[in-house]
Amino acid sequence: MTVQELFKKIFFVEILKGMALTLSRLFTKPVTRRYPKEKRPAQLGFRGLHALVRNPATGDAKCVGCGLCAAICPSRCIYIYTSEGPDHQKVVDRYEIEVLRCVYCAFCVEACPFGAVVLTPHYEYADYSREDFYMTKEKLLENWDKYMGEKGFEYFDKFWNPKSTHFTTPEGQAIWRRKSG
Amino acid sequence: MIKLTIDGKEVELEKPVTVLEAAKKAGIRIPTLCYFEGLSPFGGCRLCLVEVEKLPKLQTACTLMAADGMVVRTETEQIKAARRAMLEFLLINHPLDCPYCDKAGECELQDLVAKYGPEAGRFAEGKRQHPENFDDPIIVRNMERCVLCTRCIRMCNDLQGAYAITVTGRGSHSFVEPFSGGKYNCEYCGNCLTVCPVGAIMSRLHRHSYRPWFVEKEVETTCGYCGVGCSLILQMREERIIRTIPRVGLGLNNGLLCVRGRFGYDFVESRDRLSTPMINVNGELRPVSWQEAYEFVIRRLKEIKETHGPTAIGGIASGRCTNEDNYMLQRLMRFVIGTNNIDSTARLYYAPAVAYLEQIFGQGITANLIPGIANSDGALVIGGDPTTINPILGLQIRALWRSGGKVIVVGAPGGLKRFASYEVVPRPFAEEIVLSAVVSRLVKEKELKGELTHLEEKIKGLKEPAEGDLQAAGVSAETIDRMVTDLKAMETPVIVIGPELLQHGRPSKNLFLTAALAYAINARMFVLSERPNYQGVIDMGCLPDMLPGGRPIDFEMFRHKIEETLGKEVPQNKGLNLFEMIDAAADGRLKALYVMGEDLLFSLPGREKTRKALEGLDLLIVQDIYLTETAKMADVVLPAASWSEKDGTFTNLERRIQRVRAGRTISSGRPDWQIVSEIARGLGDDKVFSSAHDVWEEVIHISPLHAGLSYEDISEGKAIWPYHGEPLRGVEGEFDVEGLDSLPKVDTDAIILNMHRPLYHSGSTSRRSKALISIFPEPVLMMNPSDAKGIGVEEGEKVRLATSNASIEVKVKIDRDLQQGVVSLSNTFEGVNFMRFVDYTVEPTTGSMVITNNSVKLEKVKE
Ligand code: SF4
Ligand code: SF4
Ligand code: SF4
Ligand code: SF4
Ligand code: SF4
Ligand code: FES
Repeated sequence: MTVQELFKKIFFVEILKGMALTLSRLFTKPVTRRYPKEKRPAQLGFRGLHALVRNPATGDAKCVGCGLCAAICPSRCIYIYTSEGPDHQKVVDRYEIEVLRCVYCAFCVEACPFGAVVLTPHYEYADYSREDFYMTKEKLLENWDKYMGEKGFEYFDKFWNPKSTHFTTPEGQAIWRRKSG
Repeated sequence: MIKLTIDGKEVELEKPVTVLEAAKKAGIRIPTLCYFEGLSPFGGCRLCLVEVEKLPKLQTACTLMAADGMVVRTETEQIKAARRAMLEFLLINHPLDCPYCDKAGECELQDLVAKYGPEAGRFAEGKRQHPENFDDPIIVRNMERCVLCTRCIRMCNDLQGAYAITVTGRGSHSFVEPFSGGKYNCEYCGNCLTVCPVGAIMSRLHRHSYRPWFVEKEVETTCGYCGVGCSLILQMREERIIRTIPRVGLGLNNGLLCVRGRFGYDFVESRDRLSTPMINVNGELRPVSWQEAYEFVIRRLKEIKETHGPTAIGGIASGRCTNEDNYMLQRLMRFVIGTNNIDSTARLYYAPAVAYLEQIFGQGITANLIPGIANSDGALVIGGDPTTINPILGLQIRALWRSGGKVIVVGAPGGLKRFASYEVVPRPFAEEIVLSAVVSRLVKEKELKGELTHLEEKIKGLKEPAEGDLQAAGVSAETIDRMVTDLKAMETPVIVIGPELLQHGRPSKNLFLTAALAYAINARMFVLSERPNYQGVIDMGCLPDMLPGGRPIDFEMFRHKIEETLGKEVPQNKGLNLFEMIDAAADGRLKALYVMGEDLLFSLPGREKTRKALEGLDLLIVQDIYLTETAKMADVVLPAASWSEKDGTFTNLERRIQRVRAGRTISSGRPDWQIVSEIARGLGDDKVFSSAHDVWEEVIHISPLHAGLSYEDISEGKAIWPYHGEPLRGVEGEFDVEGLDSLPKVDTDAIILNMHRPLYHSGSTSRRSKALISIFPEPVLMMNPSDAKGIGVEEGEKVRLATSNASIEVKVKIDRDLQQGVVSLSNTFEGVNFMRFVDYTVEPTTGSMVITNNSVKLEKVKE
C-alpha cells in the first residue's frame, strides 16, 4: 500500500466524492417521468398497436389479402379471410389480429409487399377484456386514422421503408422489384 | 448394372432410368418445372440442366438416360447461371401478381425463382397480355401466368385421355386453350389443375380464399361418390372444406381424381341439409327435439313388434353410409328387433351380381385389384361405361389399351370410344345373344379346365345362336369370330361388368354367360359399383339371407357362432329383400320401415307402387341428410351426419377397406350408427357404442372376414382382400340359370329408354353440389342423331317423353355414341328422373330387378 492509497483510505476520499455527486444531484431536475401524468413520445418506429393502412384513394384498407403477414407471423395471430368479389377481384372479408398473442417482432410489417400493415407508436391500450384486444379490420383501420393518420405515409415510409410500396406489374412492362430497397 | 457418379456420390442402378431419377434415388434434388412424375418427359423448361463430363453442353436430367460411368454434377456456377437465365426468360411473360394469385405459396415457379432466379430482369418489352378467362364455371384460366410446361396437356392426353386442351399461338405468345374455346367441354377431372406448376389453371371453387397456410388441418379420407374409393385429402379451414386434393402415392388413385371427387364436395354445405328431427303430425312434418324423436320411434317400433311381430318391421341400409352405419342397422334389425328384413339398393344390381358370381366361384371372386387392370393384356367391358360409373377404374382400362392391350366393349362405348380396340353394339338388350354365341364358340375351340363341374355342365347345355339370331341381334358372325379370337389370345384378361347387364333381359343368363366366359379365358372380374359402399353393405350383412362376413343365414353353424359371441339370438328365417318389402308393405304384411340414407321413391322404378306401399306403412322412419321425396312421406325424419362429418370405413368394389374420416367437427345431424344405436338401446339393447371405432370392434369380432382387422391396419392400407380373415369357400356350386336353352326375342322397333349415368352426377347427391350442377345443370334426354332426326328435333329443343307412368317434357342432347333406338335419361333431377318412367319385375333366380315399361313414345314439343 502506497502512501497515497493510505491517505485516501484514512480520509474517505472516495466516499466524499460520491457524496459530492449526490449533493450536486439534489439541485438538478429529476430524470424520472411521472407516467401516466407525464407522457413520453414514442421513438421513431416504435412497435406499438397494429394498424391497417388506409388507402387515401379508396378509403379502404390497402391490404390485398395476400396472407404473407399471416404466413410469417411467428405467433400465428393474424387471421385473414378473403373471397372473390363481383368482378372476380380478391376481397378481404376479415383481417384480424389477436393482439395479446403478438410478440411485436414486426415481421408482418416487413413481409407485406404493399406496406399495408404497420405497428403504430401507440402503446397505451390496457383494457379489461380479451375481446378488446381482438382487432378486427375496422378497428385496425381506425387505429391507422387515430395513431398514424397525422404522421402519415411519410413517417411510415421513412422508418419502415416497406420493401415495395406498390406491387403491381406496370402496364405492359416487365419490371421486377428493384435491386436495392 | 449401371454405375454413375452424381455430385461425387456413387449411384448404382438396376434398370436404366433418367439421370433425374437416378439423382432422386441418391437423395439429390435437381430442380424441375416441366417434369411431373408419371407423365412422359418433355425437356422443355431446361431447369434440370446438369453437367455431364465429356459432354460439351449442359444436359436436361429429365430426358437424359443414365449411362454407365457417367460423372454428373448438378450445382455448379455454370448450371446456376443457366437456370437463372431460364427463369429470367420465363419471367419475361410471367406477371408478378403473386399476392393476388391463388397459387402463391405452392407455386413451383415462385420457389424456383426464390432459389435460382435473378433479382431483376432486363427485359423492358411488354408482357404477353391475356385477360383471365371466366367462361367456365369450374376452371379459371390465367394464361399470362402459363409457363408452357405442357404438364396439363400431357396429363389430359396421356393419363386422363380426354384430349381436351392444347397449346395454341406461336412463340412467346403461345398459351393453353381447350379445343372447345372458353368453356371446357371435357371430363372435368381437374387433374390438369393438380399438375399445373403455376396459377395458370385453377379451380374457381376456392378462388381467392385459399393459401396453403390457411389450411388448418388435412384429413385423409375416401371419396364418397363411387365404388372405386379414391383416397383424397380434405383441406379444412374451420368447418369448411376449402378443397379436396389427391396425392401422388396415396391410395389406388395415386394422384388422380374424377370430377365428382374433386369438385363435388360442396354438397355437404347445401342449404337443403336437414338440421332437426321431425315428426309427422297430421300430414305435416314438425321439428321436435332428438329426445322426442327417439322416444317416438322407440315407442312405435315396440308397439308394432308387439302387435304384428318382428317380421312386420324392415330396414333399408345405404351404399352411401359407412360399414359401421350399415352394421348397426342390420344389428338393430337382426339382433334387437329380431327380423332378417334388411336390404339396400345394392339389390338393384350389385348385390345380385356379386352373390351370383360368388355362388359359382366362391367368395371374393370379384375382389381384384383395380390398379392391376392397366397391367392386363385385354379387357371385355359389358353392361355400362366404366369411365362414367367408376371413372378411375375407367382410366385403368384406357391405360391398358394404351400399353397395347385389347379392349372390347359390348354396347355403346361412351368414354372408351377412343380406347376400345373395337366395340360390338348389339340391338338393345341383345347382349345375351352375343355372349351366347361367343361362349358357345369359345368352348368349342378351347378346352375347359374341368374344375367347376356345375358350370361346365351348364355351358354344355347352352343354346348356340343361329345365324338368324345374330342377325336379329344386329351382330355379324365375323364380329363373333373376331371376339372369340381376341378373347382366346388374352393371357391376363379382365371382364368389367356394368349394371345394365343385370337390369335388362335375363340377369341370370347374362351373368352366367359372363361367368362362363371368365372361366373359359381365366379372367378377373370387376362389378362396377355406383355407390361408395355397396360392397360394404353386403359384407356387413345388410342382406335378407346373409350375416355379416357374407355367411349364409341358412347355415346353423354361422348363426350359432354369432349367438355365442354376442349373446343375442339370430332370427332363422330368410328375410324379405327390398322388392319383397315393397310388396309386403303394399299388402299390409310389413308395418314399419326404417330407411337409412336412401330415397326409395327416387331410386326405384315403379314409383306409384313404391309410393302406395310407403303410404300403407304404419311407421316410416327416414334417416337422411336431405328432405328427400321419401323423407317427405315419413312419420319421423332423423337428420344424419354426412360424408366428411363422421368416421368409419368404406369397402370399395375391389373389397379394399378404407377409412372415412370426419373433417367437419360440427354436423347438423348425427352419425347414422349413433342414431341407430340410441334407438337400439331404447328397444332393450344393453351395449353402448360411443364411437365408430367401437362399432368396428364388434364387426371384427363377429365377422370372420374381418377378423382382427383394426383401424390401424386399415389406415396402413393393409385391408386388401382377403384381409387376415377367412373367405368362405367351398359352399359354391349349385346355381340356376334362366332360359339356358332359349334365346330372347329382339324387339327391333321400339325406342327404349335407358338410364344415363353421367360422369358429372351420382344419384341425387350430386344435385346438391353447386359445382357439379354448374357443369350438368338440367335433365337432358340423350338421343342418337338419327333418332332425333326421325322426330325432327335438334339439340336443345324439347320433346315429350312418355311411358304409361309419366309424360314429361325434356330437353334433347344429341349423343353420336348412343346406339340407335335408345334414348337415355339420368336419375338425378327431381321430377324428370329415369326411374319415374319405368317399372320393374324381379327375376327370381338372382333376385335382381329387370326394368320394364321402358319403351317410350317421343314427340317433339312445338314451341
Ligand atoms: S408483430 Fe410479429 S407477432 Fe405481432 S402480428 Fe406481426 S408478425 Fe405477428
Ligand atoms: S402482407 Fe400486407 S397485403 Fe398481404 S395480407 Fe398482410 S397486410 Fe394484407
Ligand atoms: S379437367 Fe381433366 S379432362 Fe378437362 S382439360 Fe383438365 S385434364 Fe383434361
Ligand atoms: S397451364 Fe399450367 S400446366 Fe399447362 S402449360 Fe401452362 S403452366 Fe404448364
Ligand atoms: S372415381 Fe369414384 S371414388 Fe374416385 S374420385 Fe371419382 S367418384 Fe370418387
Ligand atoms: S424438368 Fe427437365 S427440362 Fe423441364
